[in-house]
Amino acid sequence: MDATEAAAVLARARQGDSEAFRALVGQHSRSAFRLAYRMTGNEQDAEDVVQESFLRAYRQLGRFESRANFGTWLYRIVANCSVDLMRAKQARHDQIRGDSLDAVPDLEEQRAAGPERLARSAEIGRRVQRALEDLSPLERAAFTLRHYEGRSIDEISRTLGLGTSAAKHSVFRAVKKLRLVLEPLRGQS
Amino acid sequence: MKHYSEEDLVLHYYGEDRRAAEVERHLQACERCAATYRDIAGTLAMIAAPEAPERGDQYGLEVWQRIRHKLPEQNRSWFFVLRSSFGAVLRSPFDSGIRSPFERRTQNAERRTAFALAASVAVLVVAAFVVGRVWPRTPPIKPAEQTASTDAARRVFVASVADHLDRSARVLTDIMDTAAAGDISAEQQWADDLLIASRLYRQDAVDAGEQSVADVLDEVERSLIEIVHSPSRIGAADLEQIRRRIDAAALLFKVRVLSDDLREREQTPDAARPRTSMRKTS
Repeated sequence: MDATEAAAVLARARQGDSEAFRALVGQHSRSAFRLAYRMTGNEQDAEDVVQESFLRAYRQLGRFESRANFGTWLYRIVANCSVDLMRAKQARHDQIRGDSLDAVPDLEEQRAAGPERLARSAEIGRRVQRALEDLSPLERAAFTLRHYEGRSIDEISRTLGLGTSAAKHSVFRAVKKLRLVLEPLRGQS
Repeated sequence: MKHYSEEDLVLHYYGEDRRAAEVERHLQACERCAATYRDIAGTLAMIAAPEAPERGDQYGLEVWQRIRHKLPEQNRSWFFVLRSSFGAVLRSPFDSGIRSPFERRTQNAERRTAFALAASVAVLVVAAFVVGRVWPRTPPIKPAEQTASTDAARRVFVASVADHLDRSARVLTDIMDTAAAGDISAEQQWADDLLIASRLYRQDAVDAGEQSVADVLDEVERSLIEIVHSPSRIGAADLEQIRRRIDAAALLFKVRVLSDDLREREQTPDAARPRTSMRKTS
């Protein structure tokens, strides 16, 4: 779809043409899923985020400025939907997940039990995943956008609706927490 | 020798510092900063982007099938309808960019409908002009015009306050969700950004007779002030106190209910006028 065609489809979608909106869903679903998966780290959550994001986008199409890029606008919606979902999940599971990192078996113990049993990189991957889950939703979102998506601090602040300083501090705090958890594994990576 | 903070080094790692060459030179000379940088870089290098499960070419269609029945009615303003109608009439028949015969037929039908609508509007405008010329002059009906413009302003106000409440709810949620005592400077910065806006909206709400909105904004403002004025590295007791006040006032709940309420009013033009009281929240 070239730029002129994309603009025409978008204009029709803004006028309430559901077929045009369907074309937008077709065009942007995969990238929305990829971002949602990186933000949430979970396939089912990512699916939920994708659906909710398109529903939000449809509801808010009237507010979308036609000069802006639909992909960029949707990207923000997906990022914010992911934050909302992580918040809701965190609130639900806060009490259940009291054990958090303690529940991860000790690496030394596992290696002693059978050095060949686990691929170390897979174990590190699990620890990283667990450490990411322990970040606050905003920290995780800001870190994901910076570290995985390569977005600048300015872009992160615009995407998440934060001040630049707040976006920067969210990344710093995420890095600090991740270092605390992951540094002991560094020698083993 | 001036050392760089962890934050500076994180920014350097991500290539976001404005003094990259200077930092690089310093890292060559200072073992302490170089060691910290190695730690940061080493840890971050361990965190590789997760591979998202592959989604096929039909994925867009699957998503569409899941959401199509949930799509709500879109809110289209009269201005938008008229603009698009006139746009359809004025569009050249050769510039559509639509290729299939079906789409061309659909567009022609659209254009005929739009033309009929535009013609009707033109006839009405001419008729109104003629009637206006021959009708006995009476003083202009200012109150009606005033009501229309007040309603438009009120809708803008309603939408802005709803957005503001959503942002405030995020800060409050962050404070409630913070795992333990520690650095809340990010939340403070954010709360500070919201504080001025909150004061302005509260004053607007009072002026507009939206007392229930002003009351909630007043409570939000007090919590934001408390957050802003707390120490950045907050202790467990201080944090707990802020949380208790937010909890005791059921503030997050009130903010969400009011935000929903305003969004509802935003969707229903007649309902944009002030309500005497907010939905019961407790």
